[in-house]
Amino acid sequence: MDLDDIEHSFYNRQSLLFLFYFLGKIMSLIHIENLSKHFSILNRREGLGGAFRDLFSGDYRTVKAVDGISFDIDAGEIVGYIGPNGAGKSTTIKMMTGILKPSGGTIEVNGITPYANRIRQAQIMGVVFGQRTQLWWDLPVIESFKILKEIYKVDQKTFDEHMGLFNDLVDLKKLYTQQVRTLSLGQRMLCDITASFLHNPQVVFLDEPTIGLDISVKAKMRSVIKELNQVRNTTIILTTHDLGDVEALCQRIIIIDKGSVLYDGDIKKVNSLFGAYRTLKLQIDGYNDSTLQTLQDAFTQKFGPEHGIAIAATEEFWTDVTIDQARTPLADVLNFIMTTFTVSDVRIVEISMENVVRKVYDGALK
Amino acid sequence: MRSLREYIRLYFMIEAQYIKGRMQYRSDFIISSVGMFFSSLATLGIFWVIFDTVPNLAGWSLMEMVFIYAFYMIAISPMQILFDHAWQLRYHVQQGTFLKYYFRPLNMMFYYMSEIFDLKGLTQLVTGIALLIYASIQLHIDWSLWRISLLFIALFSAALVQISIIVAASCAAFWVVNSYPVLGLAWKLREFSPYPMSIFDGAFRFTFTYVIPIGFVAFYPSQLFLRPQDVSSLVYFSPMIGVGLFAITYWIWTKGVNSYTGTGS
Ligand SMILES: Nc1ncnc2c1ncn2[C@@H]1O[C@H](COP(=O)(O)OP(=O)(O)OP(=O)(O)O)[C@@H](O)[C@H]1O
Ligand SMILES: [Mg+2]
Repeated sequence: MDLDDIEHSFYNRQSLLFLFYFLGKIMSLIHIENLSKHFSILNRREGLGGAFRDLFSGDYRTVKAVDGISFDIDAGEIVGYIGPNGAGKSTTIKMMTGILKPSGGTIEVNGITPYANRIRQAQIMGVVFGQRTQLWWDLPVIESFKILKEIYKVDQKTFDEHMGLFNDLVDLKKLYTQQVRTLSLGQRMLCDITASFLHNPQVVFLDEPTIGLDISVKAKMRSVIKELNQVRNTTIILTTHDLGDVEALCQRIIIIDKGSVLYDGDIKKVNSLFGAYRTLKLQIDGYNDSTLQTLQDAFTQKFGPEHGIAIAATEEFWTDVTIDQARTPLADVLNFIMTTFTVSDVRIVEISMENVVRKVYDGALK
Repeated sequence: MRSLREYIRLYFMIEAQYIKGRMQYRSDFIISSVGMFFSSLATLGIFWVIFDTVPNLAGWSLMEMVFIYAFYMIAISPMQILFDHAWQLRYHVQQGTFLKYYFRPLNMMFYYMSEIFDLKGLTQLVTGIALLIYASIQLHIDWSLWRISLLFIALFSAALVQISIIVAASCAAFWVVNSYPVLGLAWKLREFSPYPMSIFDGAFRFTFTYVIPIGFVAFYPSQLFLRPQDVSSLVYFSPMIGVGLFAITYWIWTKGVNSYTGTGS
């Protein structure tokens, strides 16, 4: 091998690496780097005089709704974008959909900047903002769909296929002639979801699509989303406060709080957090200051020191017993409590988003 | 980019459905139309009363005033019929429901305004046309082909002026929380447009001609047909004023849309 060859292969490696790097960039559908959005909010002064003074010298404060987040999302993923209230989820989605201009950082969806190319972005995406319909309020459902067909230039065959699919999934046909304004919340949300997939978008943003829905509609919604993701390889970004949605749909989750990413990765790791934990809410008869200690001691005696049970008094008369089921089964604890103490009321609650976030902060995923 | 033809097609499609939907509330349409009809009649009644005491208003006869008023009714109809949704902009912006207008691959002003088609405005348009025909017969206006084309151009420009003023005023909602007074004022000012500008004193006349040019909604362009011999040359600029004002309004709208940050959600 002479020098020339070595040089040659060297160049090849370089260009190959570059190609991979480049492909990686192209292949991720959504690319977000160091993205932030700061709102400046006027601290309004009181009264008429205050309002007048505000006109001339506003006293502004900055809210860092999104503060330097980075991630990449590939085509075909379903990503759960979760976090407590005010975390910055909707703000991020508004930037991804091209409504808001970022204060800093880069955002690219399918290689274009959403804010600067709103119409192009709109053509390739679907959006559902929970509880706010995007259908025509006064029109029958089917007419709304026909208008959307026209707007997105969907051909008749695709349209028929799409409507057929949805009829199979959610039995939509019986709603066709009803005016949107007369639909129930659940029916309307199903129609909105249907509409958001109509033009076969590359990515669909769902901001709290299951809020206010009952269990059966929720289940329908989840199966529709899952089905479409599988059949069409549609990328889906989902925000929700219902961890059940996340468990049912997402392989990957991104947890954000106060505008920063806390966790980004496989759901399995986090699953152990909210999958395994359950909280028993108890009303114990004869509750007094020493009750918590008594419980603690009883648990240690019964299940050993590594029982994984946390006890807290959260509201008056109620004692919260949070159980890590990986260590002690819920049924055993409940059984033990019922036989040892006199309990007037019991509730079992799933772990809340706030608790998940707290656990992540406490280093649960490290 | 979507072509103008596609937009027009889409517009007809949306409005056809909208009207079909509205027909369920037929009484709504009839009552508001009757209301509109009588309020126009009331204005004509005022002319009657005025002309009962004076023979002319700043040199304009009753029938000429009727002509100007008819011109005014036709010129404000497009705003009424096609841009009526401007009135709800404040509500949508505050409630956060304005967000949805960003999500379609359409021009946002088109999408927003297409959502309402005000039927009662059609009654106003028809009344206006009838009145214009009546007044021009009484005034023996001789409608040559050239005159008729001129009328269309004049009406088009006047309609643009009126649309621009109202839409621009509604855009205040993007920046001011309580923006109603701005739109309310613009709406009130419209009522001065069918009067001869010469009855207003200097400051007002200047404002109505150069600042918020409501004079161009009815009075100035009507002169082309009533007193063609002493039309001021400014009137010939009215198409440019209409188009120019609309361009400014569109610019304001775009600014507003881009600066809107929505509500928390
Ligand atoms: N238009 C706005 N102007 C000012 N501040 C805003 C605006 N929109 C959002 N914020 C602030 O930004 C922060 C993030 O809001 P965002 O709506 O993104 O939260 P979220 O994660 O969607 O919360 P939730 O789960 O309650 O919907 C909040 O503190 C909110 O008050
Ligand atoms: Mg939100």
